[in-house]
Amino acid sequence: MREETRREAVWQFLTYAFVLLGAVVTLVPLYWIVVASTLKESEFLSSTAPRLLPGDSFLSNFQALQARDNVQFVGHPGEMTQYIEIGPLYVAYDVWHLWDLGAMGSSVFVAVVYTLLSLVLCSMAGFAFAKYEFRFKQPLFYAILATLILPIQLLVIPLFLLMAQLDLTNSYWAIILPWAANPLGIFLMRQNMQSIPDALLESARMDGATEFQLYYKIALPTMKSSLAALAIILFLFQWNLFLFPLVVLEQGKYTIPVAINQLVGAQRVYYDQIMVAATLSIVPIFLLFLVLQKQFVSGILAGSVKE
Amino acid sequence: MATRDSLSPFETAPRDRLRYLRQALSRRLPNAGEGIVGYLFLLPALTLFGVFLAFPILYTFYLSFFRFQGVSDETLLWIDTGLFTYELTSIAELQFVGLQNYVTLLSDGLFHQALFNTTFILVVQVPLMVVLALLFAVALDASFVRFKGIFRTVLALPVSANLVAYATVFLLMMQDAGLVNYLLRSVGLPAIPWLTSSFWSRMTIVGAVTWRWTGYNMIILLAGLQNVPQQLYEAAEIDGANRWEKFRYVTVPQLRPVLLFVFVTSTIGTFKLFSEPVIINGGGAPLDSTITIVQYIYQTAFVNFRLGYASALTYVLIAVVSVLSIVQLRIGGANSA
Repeated sequence: MREETRREAVWQFLTYAFVLLGAVVTLVPLYWIVVASTLKESEFLSSTAPRLLPGDSFLSNFQALQARDNVQFVGHPGEMTQYIEIGPLYVAYDVWHLWDLGAMGSSVFVAVVYTLLSLVLCSMAGFAFAKYEFRFKQPLFYAILATLILPIQLLVIPLFLLMAQLDLTNSYWAIILPWAANPLGIFLMRQNMQSIPDALLESARMDGATEFQLYYKIALPTMKSSLAALAIILFLFQWNLFLFPLVVLEQGKYTIPVAINQLVGAQRVYYDQIMVAATLSIVPIFLLFLVLQKQFVSGILAGSVKE
Repeated sequence: MATRDSLSPFETAPRDRLRYLRQALSRRLPNAGEGIVGYLFLLPALTLFGVFLAFPILYTFYLSFFRFQGVSDETLLWIDTGLFTYELTSIAELQFVGLQNYVTLLSDGLFHQALFNTTFILVVQVPLMVVLALLFAVALDASFVRFKGIFRTVLALPVSANLVAYATVFLLMMQDAGLVNYLLRSVGLPAIPWLTSSFWSRMTIVGAVTWRWTGYNMIILLAGLQNVPQQLYEAAEIDGANRWEKFRYVTVPQLRPVLLFVFVTSTIGTFKLFSEPVIINGGGAPLDSTITIVQYIYQTAFVNFRLGYASALTYVLIAVVSVLSIVQLRIGGANSA
């Protein structure tokens, strides 16, 4: 018996050691991103003795990053040149130039607009597939289902030609519209909305609700947790997009991945500045992850459950 | 009648089949108005789906039989209704070359190199990551482990890292004078040319991808573990199974569908690898030893502007990924059934 408890203790120790090691290895790169962003390049890129603790160069690194002329990483007030004079007030009407979004702002803006637009489109389409009968319903649904197997990020060549044709190159719409009708989103919404009882919709109809009210006032509120999980999937999908933004966006509209690629591909690579950029782009999402962990996890699981 | 949830109505018995057809007919006829509502809800999604997904899928295939000669706006169709004019222009100037693009890729050394690199990364990285993810999941599922929530959170943290941003820290850590070599030297080991030797530069990609995705797969496996019936473990214990036997004969077989799913999605992910090699190894340095398929497609299409040939490459890749996805859907189906 004592032999057994001792083996159990050894086993528990090994398990803890393994998990702890994993946690440390996971945290080291994160720690290093943040710490390197507060140091001078010579302090952390040193084969003899790199400095392992935070320094105080973050601000100067940040200013150097902001001073670069090929990449605007964090936005700043733009030139408000377009005014209308209304009595004593000057009103800027060219809202787009009020603020230069920078790569951070562009990424957040694009990801938020994409997520909202896609949530609306996917939930409407899912509602139609789950709760209505119409001609060609099955073939249409199968067609959408079939594209689930395709890596939709890879269709860049025709999309590029299409965007050139539609005059949408170097526009945020070019990286929002192509995947707004996200097949996975439509599929998940349809699956979940099938659980809405028909009787509920029917009784609302009796009470004189319009079809759109059924969607807006009954279907959407009951789908809150599914929508939250889908929102995470969509947000991260857009947030991580690199290939097509790289192809289609030009200077001034760069999202974070494209901006960082510019920094890395420059003739002289300033690692201190790159680490500031990485810190700024990674840390906010980490904090969001800590707060919304449950939704992240259910998003991952929802994305992994294809019927 | 209740809405049928089954995707294919024809798995039923012949008599039910007939009844289903009759009901489908009678359902369609009197409620013609309802059909329109369905379409109205579907219209926005369907429009975007058609223009930006269905069309590109077909057009890539079409392009793969042509040589691209430049963007064009030649008018194909011009309708002037008086109220509005409609102009349809051609997208590109193309020269038909038949199957030549597909023949070319059979003897394209760089494509073969990209295929080899991707396969190499795949063979090393996917098993390594799946085993690690499984071990972490099993460890965090053990009843005696405390602070489970904290460990899980930390291990899953990379899930939220931007794909490109996280790659930069590997670029930094793996420099000759970087953190990893410093740590190696300080324990008396020789420094490793992580970014300049072709073998180690692939290993750097392996390490980076493993760091990014192990936690993600751990979450999926952890959810799978929670569905393993506790009685199976108890029965195994009564039969005198030790820890390893319980893992080998209960956990792994019970997790099989989930494990297969993780394997297949990770494999697909490797075929789509792009951000990491671009950031960490620039254009596939050293000497194209890390260039991946997607990266090669990108170069062919948008650096060399051989869009037709790149379309053929894309279709080869799409074929590979599609087959894998079908396997994945099969497994997923077996999983939920």
